[in-house]
Amino acid sequence: MSEVREMTIQFPYKRSLGPVVGAFMTALTEQRILGIRNGEQVICPPIEWDPATGNELAHDFVDVGPAGTVESWSWVAKPSEQHPLDHPFAFALIKLDGATTSILHAVDAGSIDAMSTGMRVAPRWKGTRVGHITDIDAFVPGEASEVAGDDTGPAAEPVEMMDYNASIAYTLPVTANELRAEQANVEGRFLGLKCPKCARLYTGGRGFCPIDAIELGPADEVDLPQKGVITNYTIIEPVPYPGQTMTEPFARVMVLLDGADIVLGYQPTIDLAVTDLHIGIRVEAVWASDAELDDLASTAEGRLLGWIPTGEPDVTDPDLVNRIY
Amino acid sequence: MPNADDIAIIGWNVSPMVRHTDKTEAQMLLEVCSGAVEHAGITRAEIDFTCAGSCDYVAGQAFSFVQNIDALGAWPPKRDSHVEMDGAWAMYEAWLRLQIGDIDTALVMGSGRSSTADPTLIYPMEMDPYYLAPLGTDATSFAALQARALIESGKVTERQMAEIAARTRRDGKDSAYAQVTGDFDVDALLAEEYVNAPLRRHDLPPITDGACAVVIARADRARELCDNPVFITGFAHCTEAHYPGVRSLTESPSITLAAKAAGVDEGPIEVAEIQAAYTHEEPLIVEALGLGADTLVNPSGGPQAANPIMATGLVRVTEAARQIRDLGKSRTLAHSTSGPCLQQNLVCVLEGDVK
Repeated sequence: MSEVREMTIQFPYKRSLGPVVGAFMTALTEQRILGIRNGEQVICPPIEWDPATGNELAHDFVDVGPAGTVESWSWVAKPSEQHPLDHPFAFALIKLDGATTSILHAVDAGSIDAMSTGMRVAPRWKGTRVGHITDIDAFVPGEASEVAGDDTGPAAEPVEMMDYNASIAYTLPVTANELRAEQANVEGRFLGLKCPKCARLYTGGRGFCPIDAIELGPADEVDLPQKGVITNYTIIEPVPYPGQTMTEPFARVMVLLDGADIVLGYQPTIDLAVTDLHIGIRVEAVWASDAELDDLASTAEGRLLGWIPTGEPDVTDPDLVNRIY
Repeated sequence: MPNADDIAIIGWNVSPMVRHTDKTEAQMLLEVCSGAVEHAGITRAEIDFTCAGSCDYVAGQAFSFVQNIDALGAWPPKRDSHVEMDGAWAMYEAWLRLQIGDIDTALVMGSGRSSTADPTLIYPMEMDPYYLAPLGTDATSFAALQARALIESGKVTERQMAEIAARTRRDGKDSAYAQVTGDFDVDALLAEEYVNAPLRRHDLPPITDGACAVVIARADRARELCDNPVFITGFAHCTEAHYPGVRSLTESPSITLAAKAAGVDEGPIEVAEIQAAYTHEEPLIVEALGLGADTLVNPSGGPQAANPIMATGLVRVTEAARQIRDLGKSRTLAHSTSGPCLQQNLVCVLEGDVK
């Protein structure tokens, strides 16, 4: 069994809504549900184009519902963290009165025994509505819509944007080569893997030679030198975003270790002003002492603090700039 | 009957189908790509074009397909493409690409590690971001809505669904690429609780890690390399509107259109390998394809036996090709699908060479 590593990725999307979805979302804040005319059809929720022809629809909105009839339903016995309710509920396709198509939403019926195709449902609105499909908390059995909690009223301005936040916990495998490369960094070394066929020398615990498509393993390992050359760089002006701790412009450089065939990417520098940065500077690795371990950034590779100029003459190869891999 | 300029399948390889693999996606691909080019009797250097189907949300990494290119041996540089779809659509792109006529061979891949995260949380990310994704609409909930529509229209019964589950898992016992197989009693299956009513556990596909690779070539090159190339004589895909509420869930016009465009009705289909991940989808897909009772459906066990998301459709192609190359059939079909409630559908007709 190889090692696995868990991480959670956040997906904080902000989306512009446009004139059709925006009108629908704005109406939700007013406890109204809009459909859009398409000839004899009334499509709800409204879409921008005729689903059959792709022709753009005129913005001819019509109020539908708020009650409607369940056309089909499924019973979610174990809701996920993304589902709108935290207890068992139904997903249903609901044809709202006046609409000719169905809206998909949750029905909070309490029990599967209370669900049936053809049943009548009406929205339970959230008290605070922001212009989001979940402004309808869920549909509930019956003809009368209701409001959960204090009603804070409609949006003051037309709703033009919406948030969609999801997060997913991933469990990813870490290969044996990657583990050995990480261990080498912890010991103040760089692990290289040399392709037995083409003799190219790779950094970072690569799983196989991408040129020859053959696997690399312990038999192919070599220790890499600690010196190299900056082949390319970027200077980052930190903008405040969640997690950004830097406040002053800082550099990230590409380092080609002597003898290696691929660069180490996005490396931090030490004692090198961003104004002095240029391609061709000779650098060497600086590893943290035991006392400095607590100072390492969470993204550090093992004990690697960064790269410091060696004082040797610059490398003037004009092709260096192309070495970003 | 194959035409002179048709494109043929000349080799393929399928990974083991497991609930959880220790391998990375690139490692899985390295093995199936090596296997497929070997099966085709060529080397990686002879591949002119590569196209992969995979999904970043499944992989848990942006641009995950870039790492997967390590599996190709893409040096000197190769023409390469990627679709965020099942590998069956990657094969469609490669099939189109070879028709330009300037290159002869292509390597096509599909891969997915569904064990990387909870599929119930991944699937909504790929839905309409305004009306569906914020509700956490997962694949099984969509399938259950379609299943109830089919049951209440009289097109399928829960018993028939259990019979399909029992049949496919029994047939899958003979497959080297099946994950969930065995002998199941239909009455016992029907006595189980619903997972997402009206679906029971047996109605759902397994969660599978797996990959698949296929080598295709233009006719002349295919006959040169291979004694029994499997010709692609029809290939088409069609889509419907995304939002399930604007569609009839009891029919699939996109399957029927794709089947017509692929020429399914121009001759008998002996075997159909279809991407019916959920049991109730099988009768709907079979009906929409216009298949008769004499067509054998999913003798491999189909996605009910193994469902490697992003490769499930391409595996159907390899199973349909295997029926011709190894099992003596002359005309078979592969089907793949994508999107909620069978939104988009692909149909591929395969035929043996004229002897």
